[in-house]
Amino acid sequence: MKRAAIALLILAVLNPAAANDWKRAQPDYAWSFPRDHWAHAGYKTEWWYFTGHLQAEDGRRFGYQFTFFRVGVLPAAPHTDSAWTARDLIMGHAAVSDLDRNDHRFSEVIYRAIPLLGGFGAWSQRASEASLPLIAWSRAPAGTPGKWRLAWNGSGFDFDMRDDAQALSFSLSTRPGKPLIFQGPNGFSRKTQSGSGASLYYSFTRLQTSGQLSLDGQTWQVSGESWMDKEFFTSVLSPHQLGWDWFSLQLDDRREVMLFLLRREDGIIDFASGTVVHPDGSTTYLDGSAFTVTSQARWQSPHTEGVYPSRWRLTIPREQLDLEIVVEMADQENRSRLIGTLHYWEGAVRLLQNRLPVGKGYVELTGYGTSSRPAL
Amino acid sequence: MMRRYFVTAMAAHLRTGGSLYLLTILGVALGVAAVLSIQIINRNAIAAFAGSVKAVSGEAALSVLGYTPSFPEDLYPRVLSTPGVQAAWPLWRAAVALSGRDDGMLDLIGVDFFTPVDIPWQGEPGDPAAALSQPGWVALTPLLAEQMGWRVGDAFTVSRGSRLVRLTVGALVDFHALNPLASPKLAVMDIAQAQSLFGDAGAIHQIDIKLAAGADTAAMRTRLQEHLGPAVRVVTPEQREAQAKGLLSAFQLNLTALSLISLFVGVFLVYSSTQAALVRRREEFGLLRSLGATRRQVFALIITEVGLLGGLGAALGLPLGYGVAQANVRVVSATLSNLYLLEEIARLEMTTWLYALGIVIGVGGAVVGALLPALDMARRDTRALLSAFTLHETVGSLALRLFALGVALPLTAAVWYGLHGRHWQHAGFVLAVVLLFTLPLLTPLLVRELCARIRVRGFGLGYSLKGLGVRLQTTSVAVASLAVAVSMLIGITLMIGSFRQTLSVWIGTSIQADVYIAPASWRGTGSDGGLEPHVMATATSHPAVQAVDRLRRFHGYTGGRRISISGVEMDLAPGRSRFPFLPGALPNPYGAMRERRGVFVGETLARKAGVWVGDTLPIHTPIGVQRFPIAAVYYDYSAGDGAAAMDLRTMTQAFGPGPVSSTALYLRPGTDVAAVVEELQAALPDAPLEIRSNRRLREEVLAIFDQTFAITRLLQFMSLLIAVCGIALMLLVLAREQVSELALCRSLGARGRQLFGVFVGKGLSMGVMGLALGSVGGVLLAGLLIYVINRAYFGWTIQPYVDWGLIAQQAATILGAAVLASLYPALRARQTSAVALSRDDL
Repeated sequence: MKRAAIALLILAVLNPAAANDWKRAQPDYAWSFPRDHWAHAGYKTEWWYFTGHLQAEDGRRFGYQFTFFRVGVLPAAPHTDSAWTARDLIMGHAAVSDLDRNDHRFSEVIYRAIPLLGGFGAWSQRASEASLPLIAWSRAPAGTPGKWRLAWNGSGFDFDMRDDAQALSFSLSTRPGKPLIFQGPNGFSRKTQSGSGASLYYSFTRLQTSGQLSLDGQTWQVSGESWMDKEFFTSVLSPHQLGWDWFSLQLDDRREVMLFLLRREDGIIDFASGTVVHPDGSTTYLDGSAFTVTSQARWQSPHTEGVYPSRWRLTIPREQLDLEIVVEMADQENRSRLIGTLHYWEGAVRLLQNRLPVGKGYVELTGYGTSSRPAL
Repeated sequence: MMRRYFVTAMAAHLRTGGSLYLLTILGVALGVAAVLSIQIINRNAIAAFAGSVKAVSGEAALSVLGYTPSFPEDLYPRVLSTPGVQAAWPLWRAAVALSGRDDGMLDLIGVDFFTPVDIPWQGEPGDPAAALSQPGWVALTPLLAEQMGWRVGDAFTVSRGSRLVRLTVGALVDFHALNPLASPKLAVMDIAQAQSLFGDAGAIHQIDIKLAAGADTAAMRTRLQEHLGPAVRVVTPEQREAQAKGLLSAFQLNLTALSLISLFVGVFLVYSSTQAALVRRREEFGLLRSLGATRRQVFALIITEVGLLGGLGAALGLPLGYGVAQANVRVVSATLSNLYLLEEIARLEMTTWLYALGIVIGVGGAVVGALLPALDMARRDTRALLSAFTLHETVGSLALRLFALGVALPLTAAVWYGLHGRHWQHAGFVLAVVLLFTLPLLTPLLVRELCARIRVRGFGLGYSLKGLGVRLQTTSVAVASLAVAVSMLIGITLMIGSFRQTLSVWIGTSIQADVYIAPASWRGTGSDGGLEPHVMATATSHPAVQAVDRLRRFHGYTGGRRISISGVEMDLAPGRSRFPFLPGALPNPYGAMRERRGVFVGETLARKAGVWVGDTLPIHTPIGVQRFPIAAVYYDYSAGDGAAAMDLRTMTQAFGPGPVSSTALYLRPGTDVAAVVEELQAALPDAPLEIRSNRRLREEVLAIFDQTFAITRLLQFMSLLIAVCGIALMLLVLAREQVSELALCRSLGARGRQLFGVFVGKGLSMGVMGLALGSVGGVLLAGLLIYVINRAYFGWTIQPYVDWGLIAQQAATILGAAVLASLYPALRARQTSAVALSRDDL
């Protein structure tokens, strides 16, 4: 994206001057589904985050990520007579980790949200289930025909992406294995102690997933389980917060755990929170004192020189959990080619308890190896 | 040994014969300056274009450009989805006029800031939300901001067509950081804002493309072209530069040729000065030879010495050439953007190539000029060098042979032209070169014969002339170089005069309406903005208006040629014809134009593309190439690749609707035109329009014409200056060489005043002879320029016309200059005393 877009994008997201014009996450937000699966104009940032583990019929294992971001630039579209008039950007990130071949591919798009290039649908009460608009779509990356799409299929989500330059594509369909849960009371997820930074946040912690995945011209029928996070907000990070470690863990006993730890520039955890989802779908919210996460190994990216934790010990005494979280592959770093300074680690992990496998998950690590805060 | 001698001797000669050397150096310097100034401007014109291309599209391997001014933005996603494309970004571009500035244009670029376009922000880009939402947010170059005295936050007004738009400086963008030759007038704003503010929704002008690593550019070009269809063309930056070069080639070639004439005259000057210097030093060379120096050593000594003088001349010519270029860059730059719609030259850059060129032509020109005298000197044996000299007799005996050659050369050239040459574009230059070589060949015999017929009755003009005939080798060179310069002066004066007169007659036919209304932005790069409907309504509803002529014009393509395409509404002004046709038009050309989708083709285009009435003209339209039958060819004096005109309705059918670019109003007979112009200006007070009366428009067309030829006049002057230096030099030589003769005259009772008169008479005589010969050459050169060179390069028909007053004025100037040039040598001659008569001479 070079100088222009990097600068503008970061400013667009972090510019505090305009924050007053945007809506802020409130604890009493009135949820309504499926409407709230669609975009929420007026909030500065919104994302639909899918991660999961897939297995092909021949046994080959993959981790994947598919994300659409809505980056609000203006609270309302300006009154200009042009098809380029936009208030949002649409950014898409997709990655596949070929776990048996130790190969990680990352693909991305970023466009103005305009009819020519991409955008966000709006839920319509009158539309039948079959004719519901796309939740989000964008043109594929330059050089690749077609579009990236995210749609609601009535109970879960369908999404597909393609990037010919990375020789990567997938088309996946998901159905909930467990019902939707809120992350935080009524989906109000605090990111700072005071609550000044917060998001509206819900998840599908187990989505039965199936579809096709292609890598280097070879296509597999795949199936597995995914995790979906949906968040929208105007401001989450406080000025001194640099990045976060985020965990989505699926235990074999049908419990799920979501944890996030926001770090300060000096590495100290500034704020942490989490949710445990029980086998019956009920939730327990955890504050930072209810769990400990200790980094036990590190990995330095040869590309960005960022030093990431690569193995953790997680204890949640109340849940009698004492887990080892081990990365499936060291290099699952997403390095943006469009935004030169943007890189983060997003990868598949496996869970061990007493050295025995007890589950799987995905971890996201941002704000490592860079002096600037993540663009999102 | 020779080296030491060379240094010592050179220093001694410089001390004693300073003025001779000075003139050599001056001749070289002026020649170098003339050639170099043109090359500096030529190279920088292309560099300015390429610099802006690099600054805006630096990373792009390919660009998509329209065959019409703009193309639909829907093509952008198609580019994005083409395999092999790594990144692509759309650009909306327009030349907009800065309000309140007659010459101020801005090259405004609308970009999507969220594509990988590389924008060299200076400092922080500011609030991106403002770039998207604050109406008129624009980023300017620091240079322009400084020139205009603007800071971030300041507002200003620009116009495109009749639309006024208020812009606010939102940030600074330093394109010079990407390319030092980029135009400081590049400005950047959000594409949505640009389209919206300038009323251009749906249209873009360019898509820049970066290719994936390893992608083959040629193959990608073909693939994209197939993918995008016929409305656009996919070009490499090199092709864009080549196109600009092609556009300018005729203009630049002609300036180069003129500057070479100055160099040619300069070489003559070197020739005569070298010869003079060598004659003076013959005894020295004789002595050197008798002391054992070889012929080669003598030759090397002379050539090295002259080469060094050439080097000094070049050293002087380089800054002089740069100064001349600098002084003229504005006017040439204005011509280039007026005629060829290219970027203005923002600054001049001296490249290594230009320095090398200056040195090569300086040293090379001097060496070439000195070659013959040096060879001659080296060839002579010791005895001949040490005895009385017979050089002049040698040339005298050669005169007839040179004359014969001077007759044979143009005859051969004429035969060659008749048989083969006329089909070759550059043949005209060959003929011109032959003509310029012929004059010096004819000169010795003509001078000798003329002088021989003079009977000397006293110590007056006859005596002066007779003396010239005797010193033929020196005289004929000075006369010849003056003749060449005069040929150029008169030839070009005749051509420009004829052209101006032709243009004036043409204007009489083409500019017939009483009032012309065009947007201010039209003066720039042929912006595609037009007159808005409310402007048209106000203008045409004036009670004095009898008829309205609407013109829609843009740049389109026929084959690879960029032409001006006009859509006109011709049926509203009965009995008037705006197009002066060449013979051979269809019986009812206007009918054919309206009813049979015919086009009128400008002569320039017709000649260049080789099409005529009865043929069809293929033009790129948004749906592909369409062919239009040619109903007539009209006299056209546009630069570039020419023009075509069609009925406005045909244009709308072929290209879709578009704004009216300008309009012409025919007023009721007896109306006070100036009053109507004032009333219209009052009725449209804020509209950025040029409302001109017929008379003013005519004057402005001629003013642009004069501006175009300003640099030509400068080259004429430089060439003449060199020739006049030649006269001064030659007379100085005579004053020296004839010391004994002059002393003898003094001892026989001649007064200093009389000697002064003799020398002024010699100067005047040479002036007259140069003028006479040069006039013949000038008329022939004018013929070549008008009938051969202009037609071949520009396709213009010019009617010959002689402005006798101007010619007489130039003749007087030449003679005056010749007299002036003889004053200093005459003073020297006057100071000769009888004592200077040596015993040897007696």
